[in-house]
Amino acid sequence: MAAPVLERVTTGPGRRARRRPGARRRDHLTGWLLIAPALAYFVVFLLYPALSALYYSFTDWNLRTEASWVGLANYADLLFDDVKYPHFWKSVSVTLQYTLVAVPLTLVSALAQALLLNAIRRGANLFRLLLFLPVVTAEAAVGAIWRWLYDPQYGLINTLLGLVGIPGQNWLNTPELVIPALAFIAAWQCGISMIIYLAGLKGIPGSIQEAAIIDGAGPWQRFWRVTFPMLRPTTFYLLVTGVIAALQVFGLVYVIFSGNGRSVTGGPEQSGLTYVLHLYLFAFRYDAMGAACAMSFILLVFIMIVTALQFRFVKQEAA
Amino acid sequence: MRKASIYVALVLLAAVSVVPFLWMLATSLKHGPDIYTKVPNLLPLDKRTGEWAATLDNYAYVLDVGGLGDAFVNSVWVCAILVPAKLLIDALAAYAFARIPFPGRDKLFVIMLGGMMVPAITLLVPRIHVTQSLGMFDSGWGLIVPNIASVLDIFLLRQFFLSLPGELEEAALIDGAGRMQIFWRIVLPLSKPVLAVVTITSFLFHWNDLVWPLLVTNDPELYTLPLALQQLVASPDGGRAYYIMAGATLAVLPVIGVLLVFQRRILQGIAFTGLKS
Repeated sequence: MAAPVLERVTTGPGRRARRRPGARRRDHLTGWLLIAPALAYFVVFLLYPALSALYYSFTDWNLRTEASWVGLANYADLLFDDVKYPHFWKSVSVTLQYTLVAVPLTLVSALAQALLLNAIRRGANLFRLLLFLPVVTAEAAVGAIWRWLYDPQYGLINTLLGLVGIPGQNWLNTPELVIPALAFIAAWQCGISMIIYLAGLKGIPGSIQEAAIIDGAGPWQRFWRVTFPMLRPTTFYLLVTGVIAALQVFGLVYVIFSGNGRSVTGGPEQSGLTYVLHLYLFAFRYDAMGAACAMSFILLVFIMIVTALQFRFVKQEAA
Repeated sequence: MRKASIYVALVLLAAVSVVPFLWMLATSLKHGPDIYTKVPNLLPLDKRTGEWAATLDNYAYVLDVGGLGDAFVNSVWVCAILVPAKLLIDALAAYAFARIPFPGRDKLFVIMLGGMMVPAITLLVPRIHVTQSLGMFDSGWGLIVPNIASVLDIFLLRQFFLSLPGELEEAALIDGAGRMQIFWRIVLPLSKPVLAVVTITSFLFHWNDLVWPLLVTNDPELYTLPLALQQLVASPDGGRAYYIMAGATLAVLPVIGVLLVFQRRILQGIAFTGLKS
């Protein structure tokens, strides 16, 4: 860091070319002024909301009335009162299923793409660009496009299946198919993981692969004995961040299951009612802000636990 | 032989990746009845005669009746104000955190980094509450001000500023240059790569963002493009795929343009930032 150097320049004895007196105090002022806008943002839109969300989670509150303290009632009702929150556990189950399917599918698909890209020279940039395209697409557009692709009668997927004699499915209206259909979209958007895997692959020294070849290892063996173990840190990083993101999936399901106006259905038999969609409905439809804040803290704690467990077990296994 | 199978696999994967976009584009250019075919058609052809029959009517409809024209303009001005303002605020703070010594600086930086760990969802409800208390709910300000800085971007910029050689700045200080002069004349010109990455990812994020505009606006005149598109999906027109796909194309094309022009910077930047703001 430059700070010690600067202090030496400004205060060191015997230097002719010294900064003007008062420079230090001016630095303090300039420093605070420069961070002031960012600090204001941080306090108003990050720190205060985080703390107030915790407070409101212990209250009965909507945006129009004063919050009244109810202690742990929101938490207790969410977890145990299936009359007041009939779909809470359903939303937990949907989200866990989605995470368990979508994250592995995304990682496998990203790794496969990265391995293929890493094996070629000519055209690699073009293929990388094409495979990356779905990532930069707005989730509203992604949802709109896939609603049409999954269309039971004229959607591309069913018409293609029909050409090879497989009966089409009503993908987004069959409870058992909703999670796989959503997970497939997630895997379609695996470009970021693919780029990060690609960077990981570039980091594996060629000499190790060559040594394995000399030792007579085939491609399959080389992948499982050399490449995959060397990618452990990358996989771990993508796993942790992927799980955190999947547990919060919202925008895409919101678009996919948009009903009339601003109503949202959560899919057939709530099969697409993810945790955050459920939270959204209670916050902005049923006007239960306090309960929504409690939901967000349950999710926060859950994310922390899952992340800690992954650090504990996946990391340990890797060591 | 092995090379050939790798290319075959890549072509198939690339097709899965790209065909949905071609399908979107083709549908958006078709006359209504032409989209309902038993055999999928990736070109805008007349269903009966099989002749070329592209039309821009769907675009005209969604831009005007569907409200996507106004929403497009909204998205443009929100990004035109938000992205540069955010970059400036983040860069100023990052420069101070990297180079200007003042008491409490490093502690403050660590606290701000800690804020990054809180999932966005946790903050959603109270953020709307704050926005409302500030009188910005359902206004243009509400689309911009609550997103005006990013701790992640401050972190990335600070790391880059720290990596710059300090000698130049010290020499300028001794020559009597002010901190701001140094920031504008020396630091920023040397930081073009990171400024580009932050600008592009920030543009992509806010251009595509659905959730914040969804929560903070009620007035249809304030809808940004993703929100207007979602509303179109949810409207009685939602069953008419040719309209929806015209709307989706309008949302996707600018972003594909940005990707094509800045692909190297984006793909490099992604390895660090993950495209979040």
